[in-house]
Amino acid sequence: MKIKVIINEEKEIKEISEGNTIKDLLKILEIPSETVVVKRNEFIVIEEEIIKEGDTIEIIKVIYGG
Amino acid sequence: MKNCSKCGNPQIIIKKKHSGQSLCRECFIESTREKVLKDIRKYKLIEKGDKVLMALSGGKDSVMALNILNSLCERNIIDLVAVTIDEGIKGYREDGIRIATENAEILGIEHKVVSFKQYFGRTLDEIMSESQKNAELRHACTYCGVFRRWILNRVALEEGATKIATGHNLDDETQSILMNYLEGNMHNLVRIGPKSESQDKRFTVKIKPLREIPEREVGLYAVAADLKVHLAGCPYAGDSFRREVGNFIKSLSLKHPTIMYSTLRGFERIKPLLKRELSSKVERGVCRRCGEPASGDLCKACTFIEKWDK
Ligand code: SF4
Ligand SMILES: [Zn+2]
Ligand SMILES: [Zn+2]
Repeated sequence: MKIKVIINEEKEIKEISEGNTIKDLLKILEIPSETVVVKRNEFIVIEEEIIKEGDTIEIIKVIYGG
Repeated sequence: MKNCSKCGNPQIIIKKKHSGQSLCRECFIESTREKVLKDIRKYKLIEKGDKVLMALSGGKDSVMALNILNSLCERNIIDLVAVTIDEGIKGYREDGIRIATENAEILGIEHKVVSFKQYFGRTLDEIMSESQKNAELRHACTYCGVFRRWILNRVALEEGATKIATGHNLDDETQSILMNYLEGNMHNLVRIGPKSESQDKRFTVKIKPLREIPEREVGLYAVAADLKVHLAGCPYAGDSFRREVGNFIKSLSLKHPTIMYSTLRGFERIKPLLKRELSSKVERGVCRRCGEPASGDLCKACTFIEKWDK
């Protein structure tokens, strides 16, 4: 299924499998989940949340070194 | 899926692994704020009538601290003024200054921007390119830390501030504890705490209101409360020892979610003992160049500057 992923204002359409969670998506994107806050359709969600067809997932990196 | 442990709202934004608590947006914001205000009371970080100088970089930590301290200001408990230090890091600091300024404006807080250039005649970028030419191997963060501390102390005196607040979070604090321990730097280790305890009146007391809030929760707070924050990494942040230690504890936390709290608690327990053992009443003199407190003839900032000016 298709979803929209926004990372640092860069939008991208991604194809992921049915039943994938935010955690799965972050794993695919190789982003450590403890460094980000994720919004689904503008609402903050936890990483166990299951992604649905057509969702817009925004990944906000909140932890940087230094 | 779980509901909010406080109000039952099904839309939770965090499951705290260390406490098992799940919270919705409103309850997370509320309970985090309460926790910070409780710590301020518990460690007596602030007294009524204090004039607090917030070191505001524009990053998530200092913006969150500013917002919470502002509630004390609105209740006329404290006076609040914010200062942003422009180290002179091209391509990085400009955004931070702009965002810091916006935040101060939104809250109606008096705000000053001061720079390395203005106080020391050089930007951090200039310091780094100079020191590379002279094959000095010090990390940018060493200069940055020394000069930033100097400026904060100076601005606090200029403003008549009674406290300096910084945005240090739980990750920063456990990093410092572990780092000093690993380096065997016991005198610096015993100085770590929610509030500085210098006997020297010329050093304004420093406080860390976010000291028990994990960095990830500070980030979540900033997003949840829709704060304007500067989310970017400093170009100099690369592989410092601090960073290595930070990554190490962060990775341990994944499997052991209480590790930072236990590091902090354990440290709090041994600190009084260490202090008794290590307390040496070092007579602090005055820096002959700038008049700031110094352990030797020159303070650290002036030691660098004198060397460069030769
Ligand atoms: S990472 Fe280092 S150089 Fe960059 S702002 Fe922080 S202390 Fe300064
Ligand atoms: Zn709730
Ligand atoms: Zn000096």
